[in-house]
Amino acid sequence: MNRYFSLITAAVITLLFIGCAKDNMEPNKDTNDALKIAEGYAIGAGVQVQLYAAAPLTTGYNFVSIALTDSVSGQSIEEAAITLMPMMDMGTMKHSAPVENPASKASNKRFNGALVFTMPSGSMGSWAVEVTVTVNGRQGKATLPVAITEPRQNKLKSFVSKVDNKKYWLALVQPTAPKVGVNDLELAIYEAKGMMAFPADSSLAVAVTPEMPTMGHGSPNNIDPVHTGKGHYKGKVNFTMTGLWYLNLNFKKGDAVADNATFFEVNF
Amino acid sequence: MKSLYAFIGCLLLTGIAAAQEKDLTDSVRTVLLQEVTVAAQQRGQQQHLYRYFTANKAATTEDIMARIPELSLVRRGSYGMEPIIRSFNSNQVALLLDGMRIHGACTDKMDPTSIYIEPVNLNSMEVRTNGSSLLVGSSVGGSINMKLAEASCHDEGRFSGSASTGYHSASRAFFSSANFNYATSRFGLRATGTYRNSGAYRDGSGQRVPFSQYEKVNYTLHGKLKLNDGAYLRVDLLADDGWNIGYPALPMDVGYANARIGSVTFVQESGWRGWERAEAKLYANRVKHYMDDTKRPAVPMHMDMPGVSRTSGMYAEAVRSLGVGQKLQLRADASATMLKASMTMYQPGQPDMYMLTWPDNRQVQGGVAAQYQLRIDSATQVQVSGRVDVTDYALTSQGGKDQLAVFGYSGEQMGFVIPALSVQVSRKLFPSLKASFSLGMNGRAPSAGELFGFYLFNQFDGHDYIGNTKLRKEIGQQAELTLSWQQQKWKVQASGYISKVRHYIFGKINPGLSVMTPGARGVKTYENTAQALLAGGEGSVVYQPFSGTQLVSTLKYAHAQDNTGNPLPLIAPLRNISTLRQHFNALWLQAEMELAAAQRRVSVAANERSTGAFSLVHLRAGYQLQQGRVLWQLNAGVENILDAYYREHLDWGNIARPGRNVYMQVSVGF
Ligand SMILES: [Cu+2]
Ligand SMILES: [Cu+2]
Repeated sequence: MNRYFSLITAAVITLLFIGCAKDNMEPNKDTNDALKIAEGYAIGAGVQVQLYAAAPLTTGYNFVSIALTDSVSGQSIEEAAITLMPMMDMGTMKHSAPVENPASKASNKRFNGALVFTMPSGSMGSWAVEVTVTVNGRQGKATLPVAITEPRQNKLKSFVSKVDNKKYWLALVQPTAPKVGVNDLELAIYEAKGMMAFPADSSLAVAVTPEMPTMGHGSPNNIDPVHTGKGHYKGKVNFTMTGLWYLNLNFKKGDAVADNATFFEVNF
Repeated sequence: MKSLYAFIGCLLLTGIAAAQEKDLTDSVRTVLLQEVTVAAQQRGQQQHLYRYFTANKAATTEDIMARIPELSLVRRGSYGMEPIIRSFNSNQVALLLDGMRIHGACTDKMDPTSIYIEPVNLNSMEVRTNGSSLLVGSSVGGSINMKLAEASCHDEGRFSGSASTGYHSASRAFFSSANFNYATSRFGLRATGTYRNSGAYRDGSGQRVPFSQYEKVNYTLHGKLKLNDGAYLRVDLLADDGWNIGYPALPMDVGYANARIGSVTFVQESGWRGWERAEAKLYANRVKHYMDDTKRPAVPMHMDMPGVSRTSGMYAEAVRSLGVGQKLQLRADASATMLKASMTMYQPGQPDMYMLTWPDNRQVQGGVAAQYQLRIDSATQVQVSGRVDVTDYALTSQGGKDQLAVFGYSGEQMGFVIPALSVQVSRKLFPSLKASFSLGMNGRAPSAGELFGFYLFNQFDGHDYIGNTKLRKEIGQQAELTLSWQQQKWKVQASGYISKVRHYIFGKINPGLSVMTPGARGVKTYENTAQALLAGGEGSVVYQPFSGTQLVSTLKYAHAQDNTGNPLPLIAPLRNISTLRQHFNALWLQAEMELAAAQRRVSVAANERSTGAFSLVHLRAGYQLQQGRVLWQLNAGVENILDAYYREHLDWGNIARPGRNVYMQVSVGF
C-alpha cells in the first residue's frame, strides 16, 4: 500500500509543477536596428552625415539618430555640435518644423535627436533636413532630402490657444505600442512662432481623458501629463481593452482653458 | 512560492497517513444525506429527508436540494441553479464533486459544479454546515459534496442496468437516461448516459419565458478493480456537454458549456498498520464555457465571453481508532487551478475590442486536517477538528498583470493562510432528546473573481464589478445548537445557528470609476467590510401515524445583516414544505405544499427587489411493477396545480417560475 501512495504522491507533485510552473516571458522589443533614412556630405566639415530612424519618417514626432564619419580617416566622430533644421519647400514659401537637437557627445557612435514633421511630403512640397555639423572648429552643412508619409494613425495636432491666440503643435510621443493596461503618455508641445521658430513649451497644464467612443466609456486612474523638460509632458494613460480609443485633451494656461477640443485616436 | 511547493510536498507525504470519515455519528452536525456508513448508526433526520425525497424517481438533483432545509438555490434560468448553504453565498460554500474541486469557467456563475451530476450518477450528497466542513476544506459557509455512483463488484458475474425516460409539460422537456453495469468478483464497470432537452417553459400566466431552454448530454464511465484484500482502485470519468442554454435573468446565454472530469482513487478498506480505512484520490478536470448573445434581440453590440478552467489535485484521508471510544481522522488535500476568461466585442469596421475578464491566473491550495472524537460516556461525545489551509494566487500572463495594473496591482503576493478549529459536544439529555452544540472558526481565501474580476457585469444589481488584489481572507465564527427529539411515531429536529463573518467580502460602489458595460448603473469594487452577521434556524418533523403514511414538514428562516445593520442580499424568506405520502403496496400517492413568506428585508445596496409570498400545491404518484428480474417504475405528477404565477426570492431578475407542470417518467431496470 505504501507503494501506491508514493506513486500517487510523485504523480501529484509532477502534476502540480507542470500545472503552475509556466511563467510567461515577454519578448524584448529590439529597436537598436535603425533604418538608414538618408546620407550626405557636410562639405566645410569634411564629414559624412547619415540619418537613421527606427522606421520610415512620418508626420509627427520621430526619434532620429545621426552618425558622423570623418571623410578622410573613415573614423566615427564621437563629439560634434549638430543643429537640425527640417525645411519644407512649397514653391511659393518655405517653412521649418520643431526639432530636438542632439547633445554634443555621441552615445554608441550615434547623436540622438528628434524631428517633428508637420505635414507629409507630396504634391504640396518636399522636405529636406539640413544638418549643420561643427567638428574641431570646422563647420559644414549637409542637406538630406527625406520623404515624409502620413502615419496610419495621426500623431500630430495643433490648436490655437483661446487665451492668447498662440498656435501650438502637439506631438504624441508615447504610447508608440499601446497595450491594455498602464501606458506611458508623452506629449511634445511646441509653440509656432512664425515659419521658422518652434520653441518648446512648458507653460500649459494638460489633462487627459481616454474614451472608447464606440462604447461610451473611459478608463480609470490616468495620470495627467506634466512638463518634464524640452516641451515634453509625461503622464500615464490606461486602456482597459483593445479597440479604438480617443485621448481627449484639455489645455489650460493658468486657470483659463486654452483648448479642449483636441484628441488623438489610438487604435489597437 | 518555493516554500509553498515545499509545504504542498509535505502535505502529500503526510497523505500517506491520511483519512476518510468512516463513521459519521449523527452527533456531529453533519447533514449526511445518505448512509455511506458501514457501522449501523442512528439515522439522522436529514438522511431520512433525503431518502424520502429521492423516492420520487423523476426528481432532479436540484429538486432534491430545494427540499433540504439547509440548502437554497440561486436561480438565473431553468438550468445551472447554484446551491448555497443557509445565507452564505456561493463563494463561501465549498461545492465538491466526489471530493474534487472543480472551478466554474463562467464569470457569471452559470456553471456550478452541481450541473455535472444527474440523478443517474448521484450516489449521495453530504451537506456539512460550518462546524464540520473544515475537514474537507476552508470555507465560512460549509460544504456540499456530491458523491458519484461507482462501479461495484459481485461474487457471481452479472450484467445489470436501467433506462428511463420522462416528459415535462411546462417546458416540453424530454429527459432520458440509462446506466449499464457489469460486475465480476474482481472488477466492475459502469456506464451512464443522460440526455435532456428542454424548451422554453410556460409560467403561471400562460406566457412562455423566452431564453429558458437548454439541451445537454452527460456521460460517465466508472471502473473498479480489486487489488488485494480490502484494497481497490477506482477510475471515474465524466463528460458533460450543454448547449443552447438560456438564462432569462441574464443578458447573455450559453453557446456551449462542457466539462471533462477524471479521477483515480485508491481505497484500502480493511485495516493496514492500525488504520481502519484509507483513501487517496488523484484528479484532473477541465471546464469550458462560451457565453453568447447572438440570439438576443436588439443587442447594440455583439460580444463573446469564453472561459476555461483547469484543475488538478489530490486528497488522501485515513481513519484510525485510538482505543475505546476514541477515533482519529486525518486528511491532506492539494489542488491547482488555472483560470482564464475573456470578452471580445465586435463593432463592424473597427478592430475587435478584447479584454480579459478573468486575467490568466492560477490558484494553488493545500491543507491538512485532523478530527478527534472521544466518547466520554454512553451519553456524551466530544469532537475536535482542526485544519490549516494555504492558498496562493498568481497572475500568469503579462497581459493579465498589465491589465490589473490599471487598478494598482504591482506584483504583490496573494497568499492566504487559514487556520480552522471546531469543537462539538453532543449529549443525550433524556432518552428521547439529544442536544448537540458546536463552536467553530473557519475562513476562506477570496475567490479568483473577487481578486481579479475585470468589469464583470452583474445583472442582479446592474453594476460592473472590479476585483481587488488587496483583499484579505474572510473569517467565520459560528455557534450552532441542534435538538433532536425522537419517539416511535415522531421525529423532530430543530437547529439554530449564528455566524459572524469578519472581513465579509462585498461589492462597494466605487464612485471614482465609470461603467464599461453600456447601461450599467455604476461600478463596484470588492472590499472587505467589517463584518456580517448571519443567523437562523431549520426545523423538520417526520410523523408516521400508521405504517405506510408519512407526514414530513420542514421549516427554515434566516436573517443576515451587514456591519451597519442593513440586510444582505439573497436571503431566503420563511419557508415551509409539507408533504403527506401514503403507500398502498406497489403504489404511493403524495400531496405536497410549499409555502413561502414574502421577503421585504432586502438589500438596498444590491438594488434587490422584494418578493411576494406564494403557496404551491403538488401531487405526485409512483408505481412499481416487478416482473422476474425486471422492475418497472412509473412516476407521474402535477406540480403547481393551481398554476400560481410566482418567483422565489433567490431568483434573479423579474422572471416567473414555471406554471402548472404535468410530468411523467417511466423507468425499467434489470
Ligand atoms: Cu470598451
Ligand atoms: Cu456564462
